[in-house]
Amino acid sequence: MTAPETPPVPTPHPAGPLAPYRVLDFADEKGQLCARVLGELGADVIKVEPRDGDPTRHNGPFFKGDAGPNTSLWWWAMNAGKRSVTCELRLEPGRLLAQRLAAATDILIETWPPGKAAEYGLDYETLAAINPGIIVVSITNFGQTGPYADWLATDIVGSAMGGHMHLNGDPGRGPVRTLAPQAYAQVNFQAATGAMIALYARGVNDGVGQHVDASMQESMANTMDYNQQTWDISRINNSGPGIRRASALGMGGARYLFEAKDGWVAALQVGGVIGPGAGPMIDWLAESGEDRGLASPEWRSKLSAMVPLPPDERDFVEETLNLFCKTRLKEDLVAEAQRRNSGWAPVFSPHEVVESKHLAARDFWVRVHHEDIGESFVYPGAPFKLSKTPWAQRGRAPHIGEHNEQVYGETLGMDAAEMRRLKTRMVI
Amino acid sequence: MATAKKAPLKKPFAGLRVADFAWVGVGPTVSKYLADNGAEVIRVESSTYPETLRRVGPFVDNKPGIDNSGYYANFNSSKKCMSVNLKHPRGPELVKRFIATCDIVTESFTPGTMDRFGLSYESLREIRPDILMISMPLYGKTGPWASYSGYGHVLQAAAGINHLTGWEDGPPIGTGVAYTDFLVPHIAAIGLIAALDHRRRTGEGQFIDFGQMEAAVHGLGTAVLDWTANAHEQMRMGNRDPEAAPHGAYRCRDGKYVVIACFTEQHWERLKAAMGRPEWCDLDRMRRKWQRLDEQKEIDRHLGAWIEAMTRRPEDPRDELIEEADGLTMRRFTSFEMMDWMQSHGVPCGVVQSPEDMHGDPQMKHRKHYWKLQHPTMGLRTYDGPSFRLSKTPSELTKAAPLLGEDNEYVYKELVGLDDEEFIELLADGAFE
Repeated sequence: MTAPETPPVPTPHPAGPLAPYRVLDFADEKGQLCARVLGELGADVIKVEPRDGDPTRHNGPFFKGDAGPNTSLWWWAMNAGKRSVTCELRLEPGRLLAQRLAAATDILIETWPPGKAAEYGLDYETLAAINPGIIVVSITNFGQTGPYADWLATDIVGSAMGGHMHLNGDPGRGPVRTLAPQAYAQVNFQAATGAMIALYARGVNDGVGQHVDASMQESMANTMDYNQQTWDISRINNSGPGIRRASALGMGGARYLFEAKDGWVAALQVGGVIGPGAGPMIDWLAESGEDRGLASPEWRSKLSAMVPLPPDERDFVEETLNLFCKTRLKEDLVAEAQRRNSGWAPVFSPHEVVESKHLAARDFWVRVHHEDIGESFVYPGAPFKLSKTPWAQRGRAPHIGEHNEQVYGETLGMDAAEMRRLKTRMVI
Repeated sequence: MATAKKAPLKKPFAGLRVADFAWVGVGPTVSKYLADNGAEVIRVESSTYPETLRRVGPFVDNKPGIDNSGYYANFNSSKKCMSVNLKHPRGPELVKRFIATCDIVTESFTPGTMDRFGLSYESLREIRPDILMISMPLYGKTGPWASYSGYGHVLQAAAGINHLTGWEDGPPIGTGVAYTDFLVPHIAAIGLIAALDHRRRTGEGQFIDFGQMEAAVHGLGTAVLDWTANAHEQMRMGNRDPEAAPHGAYRCRDGKYVVIACFTEQHWERLKAAMGRPEWCDLDRMRRKWQRLDEQKEIDRHLGAWIEAMTRRPEDPRDELIEEADGLTMRRFTSFEMMDWMQSHGVPCGVVQSPEDMHGDPQMKHRKHYWKLQHPTMGLRTYDGPSFRLSKTPSELTKAAPLLGEDNEYVYKELVGLDDEEFIELLADGAFE
């Protein structure tokens, strides 16, 4: 280890609304983002890793394709702005050390299988005896108890068992999932909401903490749009509608995706050509001479009536818009449709999102310096702009145990001899 | 110190009042978190321009009606509702008097709408200096797209979700739901409660400019960095995963799909054991994950055929035994039995559950995720609860969704301070429509 000079990350953020708090992060994919966002609101987030590094450091993709403990883009994305300490929980002194950290912590986030926290002495009951104010956030696949509590899951299993994936996909090819893991994203953000509610509850209840038990399955159940109710009320079991929008009434919905010259556009109700606002959209087709007869009074009244069209007529309308879009650029289409009060959007790829003029005008992106590799990269910026207590990106993700001296020395007040002893005993 | 106390804990947001102008999916989900945890949330609506979700089904008995929509109901548990016509000459004034009694204002109109009614943050701060206000339009308050309209179903396209959802050789179908409506409210709630905690400690309110698209970008996993650091564009790939093989959804004979994900060598070894080690999976070129990633097509073909062969429709005979090559006998499974079988071998596996399956799911039942609430016109209906359980101050869905204008008398008389005469006068004049 090099000299104990102050590591370059994380950057301080005393103006954040959570600046008074400390977060201890023992999480895997299900909780790292939860911890990160609390850090970006000002909390001091300490990521606790085994001595050979957190397993998610091996999650691809990697910077320039080179696998290594400090090149995982997953690690970068989900752990940016945290401090890192090593602590070997398989050893008794490690577990005691973790309890000392927990004693100085407001929110502890863990994603172990149910029961594991108690084995480590890091479960809520044990920790509350040491630190009555602590909030322990346990994020699991299915929750702490119940028939599936011990079952294994990854993102796709969460998406399937949470009812979300059934609503995605194509009638011909079956259900599909989103490549960017949404069950992980959902449970991270929903668990963070639970953590914030518990934190607020502590503030109004004389500092009493509690246990937050979050389930990935349930977090996906909360993404089912109207389909939970559609079953409850109408006994209709919706499934993936492909390029259509499934209807809340259970009828085959209208097409919402159309291919433009340079990609795709998303445009509900056949781009607004069907529905009460159809007039200006039909005018647009007519002005270009591409309405294929839809501008006739009969068609106009049929299209603006809120009565479903027979399938052959709907196909004709959809094909008309399809032909219209094919010869035009998607951003031009969207701009003109919006001018005519129809809520179209372009289908953006990640690089188009990054290059979006709108997000640039809002000064959304932040550049994060990685002094260790001598480069800086663009990261997503503020998910919300708080006028008095701003969000802030806190710098790159930490190296393994980068903040051992800082955290164990300054935060826990450990002397050099004790730290040496723990190192020798392979605890840190 | 705290152990001696016996008094029950206060609900987190008890005593806070919320003027909730937000509509459709995002805003009401944010304020649902407040309402289900003790805040008095009052939806501010209008009968002249009713909330979109009230006009969209599913409707009970298939009867369209403002107070009959399950879509609206599910996001508005535990709330009250007032109605006001902001275009009535006294509308904005009445609303301001109401907001003077509130702690939080939420809204999700197109930027400029609140300003036009004299309800901008700056003017609300004059009547309530510590007000906390969050505006949640699709694209934020500023920028070239600020005025763009739309719904979560198309915002998922602009935010990159569609591009990453579907088959590699097919269109960017996206999720089948208005996806960002169910992603960004949680992020908004995190920011809002953090600001609320700051207010609790310092007495200082503030304004939150929440652009839904920006929040949604935080749900893209590694896709942004893969582009900005590697110039690599991630692309939808069906149910495959660049880090796991096999990884997919496989059709069972009962028409349902099971998903299987093998991220580790251990998962793969267990899957082989669960399948009784058919010859094809013991090949040398499938031993390591990086090898299996290259052999996915073949693995999926075999695994798909095995799942198909080993499953049965519920009406098929249960005990028909199949003799495998190596002498192992197995019986055919339903999709759910296949899931049990895989999980009992330690393989990450699940059924792609339909809305009907979700209602019958034993784990969801055990967790009491679904709440049954009695609604005056809709009857006993199912509502979603939060995905987390707080051990000491649990969320509580205290009542079904409100009827339009259900709490007008309470709001206008007790909070705004109208006397009976004035109330009736304004009612007759259409101020509450």
